[in-house]
Amino acid sequence: MNIIEKILFNHSVEPVKTISPGDIATVNVDRAIIVDMAALHPEFVDNPPLKPFDPDKISLVFDHYVPAPSIEIANRVNRLRKLVSRWGIRDFYDTGRGGISHVLGGELGWFRPGSLVANTDSHTVATGAFNTLGRGLGTPELMNIIATGKTWFIVGETVKVKFSNRMRKGSSAKDVFFNLASITGDIPGKNVEFAGSGIKSMGMDERSSISTMCAELSAEFAVFPFDGILKEYMENAGVSRYKAVEPDNDAAYADEVEIDMASVEPMVAMPDRIINNIKPVSELGRVNIDVAVVGSCANGRLSDIRDVAEVLRGKKIDRNVRLTVTPASRKIYEEANRLGYINTIVEANGLVTNPTCGACLGGHMGVVADDDTVISSTTRNFRGRMGSSKAHIYLGSARTVAISALNGYIKGDLNE
Amino acid sequence: MNNITGKTWLFGDDINTDLIYPQICYTLPEREKPLHAMEANRPGWASMVKNGDILVAGRNFGTGSSRPAADNLRKLGISCILAETVNGLFLRNAVNTGIPALAVHGIRDVLKEGDIITVDFRNSIVRYGDKTLSFKPLPSFLMDIIENGGIINVLKAKGLLGEPL
Repeated sequence: MNIIEKILFNHSVEPVKTISPGDIATVNVDRAIIVDMAALHPEFVDNPPLKPFDPDKISLVFDHYVPAPSIEIANRVNRLRKLVSRWGIRDFYDTGRGGISHVLGGELGWFRPGSLVANTDSHTVATGAFNTLGRGLGTPELMNIIATGKTWFIVGETVKVKFSNRMRKGSSAKDVFFNLASITGDIPGKNVEFAGSGIKSMGMDERSSISTMCAELSAEFAVFPFDGILKEYMENAGVSRYKAVEPDNDAAYADEVEIDMASVEPMVAMPDRIINNIKPVSELGRVNIDVAVVGSCANGRLSDIRDVAEVLRGKKIDRNVRLTVTPASRKIYEEANRLGYINTIVEANGLVTNPTCGACLGGHMGVVADDDTVISSTTRNFRGRMGSSKAHIYLGSARTVAISALNGYIKGDLNE
Repeated sequence: MNNITGKTWLFGDDINTDLIYPQICYTLPEREKPLHAMEANRPGWASMVKNGDILVAGRNFGTGSSRPAADNLRKLGISCILAETVNGLFLRNAVNTGIPALAVHGIRDVLKEGDIITVDFRNSIVRYGDKTLSFKPLPSFLMDIIENGGIINVLKAKGLLGEPL
Protein backbone atom coordinates (compact mmCIF):
# COMPACT_ATOMS: atom_id res chain seq x y z
CA MET A 1 0.00 0.00 0.00
CA ASN A 2 1.09 3.58 -0.56
CA ILE A 3 0.84 6.23 2.19
CA ILE A 4 -2.75 7.17 1.37
CA GLU A 5 -4.00 3.60 1.20
CA LYS A 6 -2.20 2.73 4.44
CA ILE A 7 -3.67 5.65 6.41
CA LEU A 8 -7.15 4.67 5.17
CA PHE A 9 -6.37 1.05 6.11
CA ASN A 10 -5.31 2.13 9.62
CA HIS A 11 -8.59 4.04 10.05
CA SER A 12 -10.93 1.41 8.62
CA VAL A 13 -14.03 0.88 10.76
CA GLU A 14 -14.27 -2.80 9.79
CA PRO A 15 -11.13 -4.94 9.59
CA VAL A 16 -9.99 -5.26 5.96
CA LYS A 17 -7.11 -7.19 4.40
CA THR A 18 -5.84 -4.32 2.29
CA ILE A 19 -6.94 -1.09 0.62
CA SER A 20 -6.55 -0.51 -3.10
CA PRO A 21 -8.02 1.75 -5.82
CA GLY A 22 -11.73 1.20 -6.39
CA ASP A 23 -12.38 0.11 -2.80
CA ILE A 24 -14.84 1.96 -0.63
CA ALA A 25 -13.15 2.72 2.67
CA THR A 26 -15.35 3.43 5.68
CA VAL A 27 -13.11 5.14 8.19
CA ASN A 28 -12.94 6.70 11.64
CA VAL A 29 -12.10 10.41 11.65
CA ASP A 30 -9.50 11.71 14.14
CA ARG A 31 -10.58 15.35 14.06
CA ALA A 32 -13.45 17.35 12.58
CA ILE A 33 -12.92 21.07 12.04
CA ILE A 34 -15.82 23.49 11.69
CA VAL A 35 -15.06 26.95 10.32
CA ASP A 36 -17.20 30.07 10.63
CA MET A 37 -18.66 29.57 7.13
CA ALA A 38 -20.89 26.87 8.66
CA ALA A 39 -22.90 29.74 10.16
CA LEU A 40 -23.99 30.63 6.62
CA HIS A 41 -25.48 27.18 6.07
CA PRO A 42 -29.05 27.28 7.41
CA GLU A 43 -29.19 23.49 7.79
CA PHE A 44 -26.31 23.69 10.27
CA VAL A 45 -27.45 26.52 12.53
CA ASP A 46 -31.13 25.51 12.32
CA ASN A 47 -30.54 21.82 13.08
CA PRO A 48 -26.96 21.18 14.25
CA PRO A 49 -25.99 17.66 15.26
CA LEU A 50 -27.52 16.78 18.63
CA LYS A 51 -24.09 16.02 20.07
CA PRO A 52 -20.61 15.39 18.68
CA PHE A 53 -19.06 11.92 18.63
CA ASP A 54 -16.27 13.31 20.86
CA PRO A 55 -16.15 17.03 21.80
CA ASP A 56 -12.36 16.84 22.23
CA LYS A 57 -12.02 15.89 18.56
CA ILE A 58 -14.03 18.87 17.32
CA SER A 59 -12.43 22.24 16.51
CA LEU A 60 -14.31 25.46 15.85
CA VAL A 61 -12.23 28.05 14.02
CA PHE A 62 -13.23 31.54 12.92
CA ASP A 63 -11.24 32.38 9.81
CA HIS A 64 -13.24 33.30 6.70
CA TYR A 65 -15.10 36.30 8.09
CA VAL A 66 -12.72 37.74 10.68
CA PRO A 67 -13.89 40.25 11.75
CA ALA A 68 -17.50 39.96 10.55
CA PRO A 69 -17.92 42.25 7.52
CA SER A 70 -21.67 42.91 7.89
CA ILE A 71 -24.51 42.90 10.42
CA GLU A 72 -26.01 39.88 8.68
CA ILE A 73 -22.84 37.82 9.04
CA ALA A 74 -22.14 39.12 12.56
CA ASN A 75 -25.56 37.87 13.65
CA ARG A 76 -25.16 34.52 11.96
CA VAL A 77 -21.71 33.73 13.39
CA ASN A 78 -22.97 34.64 16.88
CA ARG A 79 -25.33 31.68 16.59
CA LEU A 80 -22.36 29.43 15.82
CA ARG A 81 -20.54 30.58 18.99
CA LYS A 82 -23.31 28.95 21.04
CA LEU A 83 -21.91 25.56 20.01
CA VAL A 84 -18.94 26.02 22.32
CA SER A 85 -20.93 25.70 25.54
CA ARG A 86 -23.59 23.39 24.10
CA TRP A 87 -21.05 20.78 23.03
CA GLY A 88 -18.22 21.60 25.47
CA ILE A 89 -15.69 22.33 22.71
CA ARG A 90 -12.18 23.02 24.05
CA ASP A 91 -10.57 23.82 20.73
CA PHE A 92 -12.39 27.06 19.93
CA TYR A 93 -10.45 29.83 18.18
CA ASP A 94 -12.43 33.04 17.88
CA THR A 95 -11.47 36.35 16.26
CA GLY A 96 -8.00 37.42 17.39
CA ARG A 97 -7.03 34.00 18.78
CA GLY A 98 -6.22 31.72 15.89
CA GLY A 99 -6.08 32.07 12.13
CA ILE A 100 -6.85 30.12 8.99
CA SER A 101 -7.78 26.58 10.04
CA HIS A 102 -5.34 24.88 7.63
CA VAL A 103 -2.46 26.86 9.12
CA LEU A 104 -3.62 26.96 12.74
CA GLY A 105 -4.20 23.20 12.78
CA GLY A 106 -0.54 22.63 11.93
CA GLU A 107 0.68 25.08 14.56
CA LEU A 108 -1.46 23.46 17.26
CA GLY A 109 -0.52 19.88 16.41
CA TRP A 110 -3.97 18.84 15.18
CA PHE A 111 -2.46 17.30 12.04
CA ARG A 112 -0.68 14.33 13.56
CA PRO A 113 1.33 12.26 11.09
CA GLY A 114 -0.71 9.24 10.03
CA SER A 115 -4.03 10.79 11.09
CA LEU A 116 -7.24 11.62 9.22
CA VAL A 117 -8.90 15.06 9.36
CA ALA A 118 -12.23 16.37 8.05
CA ASN A 119 -12.99 20.06 7.63
CA THR A 120 -15.73 22.10 5.99
CA ASP A 121 -13.20 23.93 3.81
CA SER A 122 -11.97 22.62 0.47
CA HIS A 123 -8.28 23.33 1.14
CA THR A 124 -8.14 20.69 3.88
CA VAL A 125 -5.83 18.72 1.58
CA ALA A 126 -3.25 21.11 3.14
CA THR A 127 -2.83 18.56 5.96
CA GLY A 128 -0.89 16.35 3.53
CA ALA A 129 2.29 18.27 4.39
CA PHE A 130 1.98 16.68 7.83
CA ASN A 131 1.71 13.09 6.52
CA THR A 132 -1.99 13.46 7.34
CA LEU A 133 -5.03 12.72 5.17
CA GLY A 134 -7.42 15.65 5.09
CA ARG A 135 -10.56 16.08 3.04
CA GLY A 136 -12.63 19.20 2.52
CA LEU A 137 -16.32 18.37 2.80
CA GLY A 138 -19.65 20.08 2.47
CA THR A 139 -21.27 21.27 5.67
CA PRO A 140 -24.09 18.63 5.58
CA GLU A 141 -21.49 15.90 5.30
CA LEU A 142 -19.47 17.31 8.18
CA MET A 143 -22.67 17.21 10.24
CA ASN A 144 -22.76 13.46 9.59
CA ILE A 145 -19.13 13.12 10.71
CA ILE A 146 -19.72 15.21 13.84
CA ALA A 147 -22.66 12.97 14.73
CA THR A 148 -21.05 9.61 13.90
CA GLY A 149 -17.26 10.07 13.85
CA LYS A 150 -17.13 8.23 10.54
CA THR A 151 -17.02 8.84 6.81
CA TRP A 152 -16.28 7.07 3.52
CA PHE A 153 -13.88 7.39 0.60
CA ILE A 154 -13.92 5.85 -2.83
CA VAL A 155 -10.22 5.02 -3.02
CA GLY A 156 -8.57 6.56 -6.05
CA GLU A 157 -5.36 5.83 -7.90
CA THR A 158 -2.25 7.68 -6.79
CA VAL A 159 0.22 9.74 -8.79
CA LYS A 160 3.73 9.71 -7.36
CA VAL A 161 5.52 13.06 -7.66
CA LYS A 162 9.29 12.92 -7.19
CA PHE A 163 11.16 16.12 -6.38
CA SER A 164 14.88 16.41 -7.04
CA ASN A 165 17.44 19.15 -6.31
CA ARG A 166 16.36 22.41 -4.67
CA MET A 167 14.65 25.63 -5.67
CA ARG A 168 16.75 28.49 -6.92
CA LYS A 169 16.63 31.70 -4.92
CA GLY A 170 13.73 33.64 -6.39
CA SER A 171 11.51 30.70 -7.23
CA SER A 172 9.14 29.35 -4.61
CA ALA A 173 6.89 26.45 -3.67
CA LYS A 174 3.99 28.10 -5.52
CA ASP A 175 6.08 27.98 -8.69
CA VAL A 176 6.89 24.32 -8.05
CA PHE A 177 3.15 23.66 -7.73
CA PHE A 178 2.42 25.53 -10.97
CA ASN A 179 5.06 23.38 -12.63
CA LEU A 180 3.34 20.26 -11.27
CA ALA A 181 -0.11 21.50 -12.37
CA SER A 182 1.13 22.15 -15.88
CA ILE A 183 2.31 18.52 -16.09
CA THR A 184 -0.62 16.68 -14.47
CA GLY A 185 -3.56 18.89 -15.41
CA ASP A 186 -6.71 18.07 -13.46
CA ILE A 187 -6.83 14.68 -11.72
CA PRO A 188 -10.30 14.34 -10.18
CA GLY A 189 -10.63 11.32 -7.93
CA LYS A 190 -6.89 10.69 -7.82
CA ASN A 191 -4.31 11.23 -5.07
CA VAL A 192 -0.83 12.69 -5.04
CA GLU A 193 2.01 11.23 -3.02
CA PHE A 194 5.26 13.16 -2.84
CA ALA A 195 8.70 11.56 -2.77
CA GLY A 196 12.29 12.24 -3.71
CA SER A 197 15.43 13.81 -2.34
CA GLY A 198 14.21 17.35 -3.07
CA ILE A 199 11.70 17.21 -0.21
CA LYS A 200 14.38 17.67 2.43
CA SER A 201 15.17 21.14 1.04
CA MET A 202 11.60 22.26 1.77
CA GLY A 203 10.37 23.44 5.16
CA MET A 204 6.82 22.92 6.42
CA ASP A 205 5.68 26.22 4.86
CA GLU A 206 6.76 25.16 1.39
CA ARG A 207 5.30 21.65 1.73
CA SER A 208 2.04 23.09 3.01
CA SER A 209 1.82 25.52 0.11
CA ILE A 210 2.15 22.64 -2.38
CA SER A 211 -0.26 20.25 -0.64
CA THR A 212 -2.83 23.06 -0.19
CA MET A 213 -2.74 23.98 -3.86
CA CYS A 214 -3.39 20.37 -4.89
CA ALA A 215 -7.08 21.10 -4.20
CA GLU A 216 -6.86 23.00 -7.50
CA LEU A 217 -5.93 19.78 -9.33
CA SER A 218 -9.18 18.27 -7.98
CA ALA A 219 -6.97 15.79 -6.10
CA GLU A 220 -8.49 13.82 -3.23
CA PHE A 221 -5.34 13.77 -1.07
CA ALA A 222 -1.79 15.13 -1.53
CA VAL A 223 0.53 13.64 1.07
CA PHE A 224 4.19 14.10 1.96
CA PRO A 225 6.29 11.37 3.58
CA PHE A 226 7.37 11.64 7.22
CA ASP A 227 10.94 12.83 7.79
CA GLY A 228 13.23 14.60 10.22
CA ILE A 229 11.90 18.06 9.39
CA LEU A 230 8.31 17.03 10.18
CA LYS A 231 9.49 15.15 13.29
CA GLU A 232 11.20 18.27 14.58
CA TYR A 233 8.13 20.39 13.78
CA MET A 234 5.90 18.04 15.78
CA GLU A 235 8.35 18.11 18.70
CA ASN A 236 8.22 21.90 18.72
CA ALA A 237 4.41 21.72 18.61
CA GLY A 238 4.56 19.50 21.70
CA VAL A 239 3.09 16.45 19.98
CA SER A 240 4.72 13.07 20.50
CA ARG A 241 1.87 10.55 20.14
CA TYR A 242 1.37 9.67 16.49
CA LYS A 243 1.97 6.86 14.02
CA ALA A 244 3.70 8.21 10.93
CA VAL A 245 3.11 6.25 7.73
CA GLU A 246 5.58 5.23 5.04
CA PRO A 247 4.76 3.55 1.74
CA ASP A 248 5.37 -0.17 1.43
CA ASN A 249 8.21 -1.26 -0.86
CA ASP A 250 5.67 -2.71 -3.30
CA ALA A 251 3.29 0.29 -3.14
CA ALA A 252 1.41 0.83 -6.40
CA TYR A 253 1.13 4.12 -8.29
CA ALA A 254 -0.88 4.89 -11.41
CA ASP A 255 1.67 7.36 -12.72
CA GLU A 256 4.98 8.96 -11.84
CA VAL A 257 6.03 12.57 -12.38
CA GLU A 258 9.53 13.95 -11.80
CA ILE A 259 10.20 17.59 -11.04
CA ASP A 260 13.69 19.04 -11.00
CA MET A 261 13.16 21.94 -8.63
CA ALA A 262 16.33 23.67 -9.82
CA SER A 263 14.71 24.14 -13.23
CA VAL A 264 11.59 25.84 -11.87
CA GLU A 265 11.25 29.53 -12.66
CA PRO A 266 8.63 32.06 -11.44
CA MET A 267 5.27 31.25 -13.02
CA VAL A 268 1.74 32.61 -12.98
CA ALA A 269 -1.73 31.23 -13.54
CA MET A 270 -3.51 33.33 -16.13
CA PRO A 271 -7.01 34.63 -15.23
CA ASP A 272 -9.99 32.32 -14.58
CA ARG A 273 -8.32 28.95 -13.99
CA ILE A 274 -5.10 27.19 -13.10
CA ILE A 275 -5.56 24.02 -15.14
CA ASN A 276 -4.03 24.35 -18.64
CA ASN A 277 -3.47 28.03 -17.94
CA ILE A 278 0.08 28.38 -16.53
CA LYS A 279 2.82 30.57 -18.00
CA PRO A 280 6.38 31.41 -16.96
CA VAL A 281 6.48 35.08 -15.92
CA SER A 282 9.34 35.55 -18.38
CA GLU A 283 6.96 34.79 -21.28
CA LEU A 284 4.10 36.93 -20.05
CA GLY A 285 4.78 40.29 -21.64
CA ARG A 286 3.80 43.44 -19.78
CA VAL A 287 0.65 43.13 -17.64
CA ASN A 288 -0.03 46.25 -15.56
CA ILE A 289 -1.69 45.63 -12.20
CA ASP A 290 -4.04 47.55 -9.91
CA VAL A 291 -4.13 45.18 -6.97
CA ALA A 292 -1.56 42.91 -5.32
CA VAL A 293 -2.57 40.43 -2.61
CA VAL A 294 -0.49 38.18 -0.36
CA GLY A 295 -2.33 35.81 1.92
CA SER A 296 -4.40 32.61 2.25
CA CYS A 297 -3.78 29.09 3.55
CA ALA A 298 -1.48 28.46 0.61
CA ASN A 299 0.74 31.52 0.77
CA GLY A 300 0.11 33.74 3.77
CA ARG A 301 2.73 31.91 5.80
CA LEU A 302 5.77 33.35 7.57
CA SER A 303 8.13 32.49 4.70
CA ASP A 304 5.77 34.33 2.32
CA ILE A 305 5.62 37.45 4.51
CA ARG A 306 9.42 37.26 4.77
CA ASP A 307 9.74 37.12 0.97
CA VAL A 308 7.54 40.20 0.65
CA ALA A 309 9.52 42.13 3.29
CA GLU A 310 12.83 41.18 1.63
CA VAL A 311 11.62 42.54 -1.71
CA LEU A 312 10.11 45.73 -0.28
CA ARG A 313 12.75 46.67 2.31
CA GLY A 314 13.56 50.39 2.00
CA LYS A 315 11.39 50.81 -1.12
CA LYS A 316 7.88 52.05 -1.99
CA ILE A 317 5.38 50.10 -4.07
CA ASP A 318 4.22 51.55 -7.39
CA ARG A 319 1.87 54.50 -6.87
CA ASN A 320 -0.91 52.85 -8.91
CA VAL A 321 -0.89 49.59 -6.94
CA ARG A 322 -2.92 48.68 -3.83
CA LEU A 323 -1.08 45.97 -1.87
CA THR A 324 -2.84 43.94 0.82
CA VAL A 325 -0.87 41.49 2.94
CA THR A 326 -2.77 39.09 5.19
CA PRO A 327 -0.76 36.86 7.55
CA ALA A 328 -2.47 33.47 7.80
CA SER A 329 -2.44 33.14 11.58
CA ARG A 330 -1.92 35.11 14.76
CA LYS A 331 1.34 33.26 15.36
CA ILE A 332 2.60 34.28 11.93
CA TYR A 333 1.40 37.83 12.54
CA GLU A 334 3.27 38.04 15.85
CA GLU A 335 6.41 36.53 14.41
CA ALA A 336 6.32 38.80 11.33
CA ASN A 337 5.89 41.73 13.68
CA ARG A 338 8.81 40.66 15.88
CA LEU A 339 11.06 40.24 12.83
CA GLY A 340 10.11 43.69 11.50
CA TYR A 341 8.42 42.36 8.34
CA ILE A 342 5.13 44.09 9.03
CA ASN A 343 6.78 47.45 9.56
CA THR A 344 8.77 47.05 6.34
CA ILE A 345 5.57 46.35 4.38
CA VAL A 346 3.70 49.26 5.98
CA GLU A 347 6.60 51.64 5.23
CA ALA A 348 6.46 50.51 1.59
CA ASN A 349 2.76 51.60 1.53
CA GLY A 350 1.38 48.07 1.80
CA LEU A 351 -1.72 47.40 3.88
CA VAL A 352 -1.32 44.63 6.47
CA THR A 353 -4.59 43.11 7.70
CA ASN A 354 -5.45 40.79 10.55
CA PRO A 355 -5.29 37.04 9.89
CA THR A 356 -8.29 35.85 7.83
CA CYS A 357 -9.14 34.08 4.57
CA GLY A 358 -10.42 37.54 3.58
CA ALA A 359 -9.56 38.62 0.06
CA CYS A 360 -9.02 35.06 -1.22
CA LEU A 361 -12.74 34.33 -1.13
CA GLY A 362 -13.83 37.81 -2.16
CA GLY A 363 -15.70 38.18 1.08
CA HIS A 364 -13.97 41.23 2.58
CA MET A 365 -10.52 42.72 3.29
CA GLY A 366 -9.73 43.44 -0.34
CA VAL A 367 -12.75 42.82 -2.57
CA VAL A 368 -11.77 43.69 -6.16
CA ALA A 369 -13.66 45.87 -8.65
CA ASP A 370 -14.73 45.66 -12.30
CA ASP A 371 -11.69 45.69 -14.60
CA ASP A 372 -9.16 45.48 -11.75
CA THR A 373 -6.11 43.49 -12.74
CA VAL A 374 -4.91 41.50 -9.76
CA ILE A 375 -1.79 39.51 -8.93
CA SER A 376 -2.37 37.34 -5.88
CA SER A 377 -0.59 34.63 -3.89
CA THR A 378 -3.96 33.21 -2.82
CA THR A 379 -5.42 29.86 -3.83
CA ARG A 380 -7.91 30.45 -6.65
CA ASN A 381 -8.49 32.71 -9.61
CA PHE A 382 -11.92 31.53 -10.74
CA ARG A 383 -13.85 34.31 -12.45
CA GLY A 384 -15.49 36.41 -9.73
CA ARG A 385 -13.54 34.67 -6.98
CA MET A 386 -12.16 37.80 -5.32
CA GLY A 387 -15.09 40.12 -6.00
CA SER A 388 -16.21 41.39 -9.40
CA SER A 389 -16.55 38.82 -12.18
CA LYS A 390 -15.09 41.51 -14.44
CA ALA A 391 -11.74 41.52 -12.60
CA HIS A 392 -8.71 39.71 -14.06
CA ILE A 393 -6.96 37.58 -11.44
CA TYR A 394 -3.43 36.25 -11.95
CA LEU A 395 -1.91 33.94 -9.34
CA GLY A 396 1.76 33.87 -8.39
CA SER A 397 4.12 33.35 -5.48
CA ALA A 398 4.30 35.90 -2.65
CA ARG A 399 7.69 37.01 -4.00
CA THR A 400 6.27 37.51 -7.50
CA VAL A 401 3.37 39.52 -6.02
CA ALA A 402 5.79 41.76 -4.10
CA ILE A 403 8.10 42.34 -7.08
CA SER A 404 5.03 43.11 -9.20
CA ALA A 405 3.73 45.58 -6.58
CA LEU A 406 7.06 47.42 -6.70
CA ASN A 407 7.08 47.65 -10.48
CA GLY A 408 3.39 48.16 -11.24
CA TYR A 409 3.30 45.21 -13.62
CA ILE A 410 3.66 41.44 -13.23
CA LYS A 411 7.30 40.61 -12.80
CA GLY A 412 9.26 37.79 -11.26
CA ASP A 413 12.98 37.62 -10.86
CA LEU A 414 15.17 34.66 -10.12
CA ASN A 415 17.84 36.98 -8.75
CA GLU A 416 15.78 39.15 -6.38
CA MET B 1 -33.66 4.55 -8.58
CA ASN B 2 -36.20 5.47 -11.28
CA ASN B 3 -35.06 6.63 -14.70
CA ILE B 4 -34.53 10.36 -15.17
CA THR B 5 -35.56 11.82 -18.54
CA GLY B 6 -34.93 15.46 -19.33
CA LYS B 7 -33.76 18.15 -21.68
CA THR B 8 -30.01 18.81 -21.69
CA TRP B 9 -27.96 21.94 -21.13
CA LEU B 10 -24.34 21.71 -22.30
CA PHE B 11 -21.31 23.21 -20.54
CA GLY B 12 -17.56 22.96 -21.12
CA ASP B 13 -14.57 21.87 -19.01
CA ASP B 14 -13.59 23.05 -15.52
CA ILE B 15 -16.94 24.55 -14.53
CA ASN B 16 -16.14 25.58 -10.94
CA THR B 17 -18.16 25.99 -7.75
CA ASP B 18 -17.77 29.77 -7.71
CA LEU B 19 -19.56 29.95 -11.07
CA ILE B 20 -22.34 27.66 -9.85
CA TYR B 21 -22.70 29.34 -6.45
CA PRO B 22 -21.17 32.86 -6.54
CA GLN B 23 -19.91 34.35 -3.28
CA ILE B 24 -22.87 36.74 -3.01
CA CYS B 25 -25.27 33.78 -2.69
CA TYR B 26 -24.16 33.11 0.88
CA THR B 27 -26.25 35.91 2.34
CA LEU B 28 -29.14 36.01 -0.16
CA PRO B 29 -32.62 34.68 0.69
CA GLU B 30 -32.77 30.94 -0.12
CA ARG B 31 -35.16 31.28 -3.09
CA GLU B 32 -32.92 33.85 -4.84
CA LYS B 33 -29.67 31.84 -4.67
CA PRO B 34 -30.28 29.47 -7.62
CA LEU B 35 -31.00 32.36 -9.97
CA HIS B 36 -27.34 33.44 -9.71
CA ALA B 37 -25.95 30.10 -10.92
CA MET B 38 -23.52 30.55 -13.86
CA GLU B 39 -24.22 34.28 -14.10
CA ALA B 40 -20.52 35.04 -14.68
CA ASN B 41 -20.06 32.53 -17.52
CA ARG B 42 -23.59 32.27 -18.95
CA PRO B 43 -25.76 35.24 -17.95
CA GLY B 44 -29.49 34.53 -18.17
CA TRP B 45 -29.10 30.74 -18.16
CA ALA B 46 -30.54 30.15 -14.69
CA SER B 47 -33.88 31.75 -15.56
CA MET B 48 -34.26 29.43 -18.59
CA VAL B 49 -33.84 26.17 -16.66
CA LYS B 50 -37.01 24.10 -16.30
CA ASN B 51 -37.68 21.60 -13.56
CA GLY B 52 -36.18 18.23 -14.48
CA ASP B 53 -33.55 19.49 -16.94
CA ILE B 54 -30.22 17.65 -17.07
CA LEU B 55 -26.84 19.40 -16.98
CA VAL B 56 -24.10 17.90 -19.17
CA ALA B 57 -20.49 19.10 -18.93
CA GLY B 58 -16.92 18.30 -19.86
CA ARG B 59 -13.94 17.48 -17.65
CA ASN B 60 -13.47 18.30 -13.97
CA PHE B 61 -17.00 19.50 -13.28
CA GLY B 62 -17.48 21.19 -9.91
CA THR B 63 -13.82 21.86 -9.12
CA GLY B 64 -13.29 24.29 -6.25
CA SER B 65 -14.84 24.96 -2.91
CA SER B 66 -17.03 23.07 -0.43
CA ARG B 67 -19.86 25.59 -0.89
CA PRO B 68 -23.32 24.13 -1.62
CA ALA B 69 -22.96 24.33 -5.41
CA ALA B 70 -24.74 21.03 -6.12
CA ASP B 71 -27.58 22.11 -3.84
CA ASN B 72 -27.91 25.32 -5.86
CA LEU B 73 -28.33 23.34 -9.10
CA ARG B 74 -30.86 21.01 -7.49
CA LYS B 75 -32.90 23.96 -6.24
CA LEU B 76 -32.77 25.48 -9.71
CA GLY B 77 -34.54 22.34 -10.97
CA ILE B 78 -31.62 20.34 -12.38
CA SER B 79 -32.42 16.63 -11.90
CA CYS B 80 -29.08 15.04 -12.78
CA ILE B 81 -25.51 16.07 -13.65
CA LEU B 82 -23.47 14.16 -16.23
CA ALA B 83 -19.87 15.06 -17.00
CA GLU B 84 -16.73 13.55 -18.48
CA THR B 85 -15.19 13.72 -14.98
CA VAL B 86 -16.54 15.07 -11.71
CA ASN B 87 -14.57 16.69 -8.86
CA GLY B 88 -14.65 14.44 -5.78
CA LEU B 89 -15.89 17.10 -3.38
CA PHE B 90 -18.65 18.13 -5.79
CA LEU B 91 -19.68 14.48 -6.12
CA ARG B 92 -20.00 14.16 -2.35
CA ASN B 93 -21.95 17.41 -2.10
CA ALA B 94 -24.29 16.26 -4.87
CA VAL B 95 -24.98 12.93 -3.18
CA ASN B 96 -25.46 14.62 0.17
CA THR B 97 -28.04 17.03 -1.24
CA GLY B 98 -29.85 14.25 -3.11
CA ILE B 99 -28.88 14.73 -6.76
CA PRO B 100 -26.95 12.21 -8.89
CA ALA B 101 -23.66 13.40 -10.41
CA LEU B 102 -22.21 10.81 -12.77
CA ALA B 103 -19.01 10.52 -14.78
CA VAL B 104 -20.07 9.39 -18.27
CA HIS B 105 -17.15 9.04 -20.66
CA GLY B 106 -17.88 10.51 -24.08
CA ILE B 107 -21.11 12.24 -23.09
CA ARG B 108 -20.04 15.79 -23.86
CA ASP B 109 -19.30 15.13 -27.52
CA VAL B 110 -22.34 13.13 -28.58
CA LEU B 111 -25.11 15.55 -27.58
CA LYS B 112 -26.54 18.80 -28.91
CA GLU B 113 -27.94 21.21 -26.37
CA GLY B 114 -31.65 20.57 -25.95
CA ASP B 115 -31.45 16.84 -26.75
CA ILE B 116 -33.79 14.77 -24.60
CA ILE B 117 -31.93 11.96 -22.86
CA THR B 118 -32.74 9.29 -20.29
CA VAL B 119 -30.49 8.19 -17.43
CA ASP B 120 -31.26 4.55 -16.74
CA PHE B 121 -29.88 3.71 -13.29
CA ARG B 122 -30.90 0.05 -13.35
CA ASN B 123 -28.78 -0.64 -16.45
CA SER B 124 -26.19 2.12 -15.81
CA ILE B 125 -26.64 3.63 -19.24
CA VAL B 126 -27.57 6.97 -20.73
CA ARG B 127 -30.00 6.70 -23.69
CA TYR B 128 -29.81 9.39 -26.38
CA GLY B 129 -31.67 8.96 -29.68
CA ASP B 130 -31.33 5.25 -30.41
CA LYS B 131 -27.84 5.08 -28.92
CA THR B 132 -26.47 4.53 -25.41
CA LEU B 133 -23.41 5.29 -23.31
CA SER B 134 -22.63 3.30 -20.19
CA PHE B 135 -21.39 4.64 -16.88
CA LYS B 136 -19.96 3.22 -13.68
CA PRO B 137 -22.82 3.29 -11.15
CA LEU B 138 -22.40 5.05 -7.83
CA PRO B 139 -22.01 2.68 -4.86
CA SER B 140 -25.42 1.55 -3.57
CA PHE B 141 -25.04 3.27 -0.17
CA LEU B 142 -24.62 6.59 -2.01
CA MET B 143 -27.68 5.90 -4.18
CA ASP B 144 -29.57 5.29 -0.92
CA ILE B 145 -28.59 8.77 0.36
CA ILE B 146 -29.76 10.29 -2.96
CA GLU B 147 -33.07 8.43 -2.82
CA ASN B 148 -33.58 9.69 0.74
CA GLY B 149 -33.21 13.25 -0.53
CA GLY B 150 -29.77 13.84 0.98
CA ILE B 151 -27.78 13.30 4.16
CA ILE B 152 -29.72 15.82 6.26
CA ASN B 153 -32.88 13.70 5.82
CA VAL B 154 -30.91 10.62 6.83
CA LEU B 155 -29.59 12.34 9.96
CA LYS B 156 -33.07 13.63 10.86
CA ALA B 157 -34.57 10.16 10.46
CA LYS B 158 -31.93 8.76 12.82
CA GLY B 159 -32.70 11.44 15.41
CA LEU B 160 -29.13 12.80 15.25
CA LEU B 161 -30.00 16.49 14.82
CA GLY B 162 -30.75 18.91 17.65
CA GLU B 163 -32.35 22.25 18.42
CA PRO B 164 -31.55 25.44 16.47
CA LEU B 165 -28.61 27.53 17.66
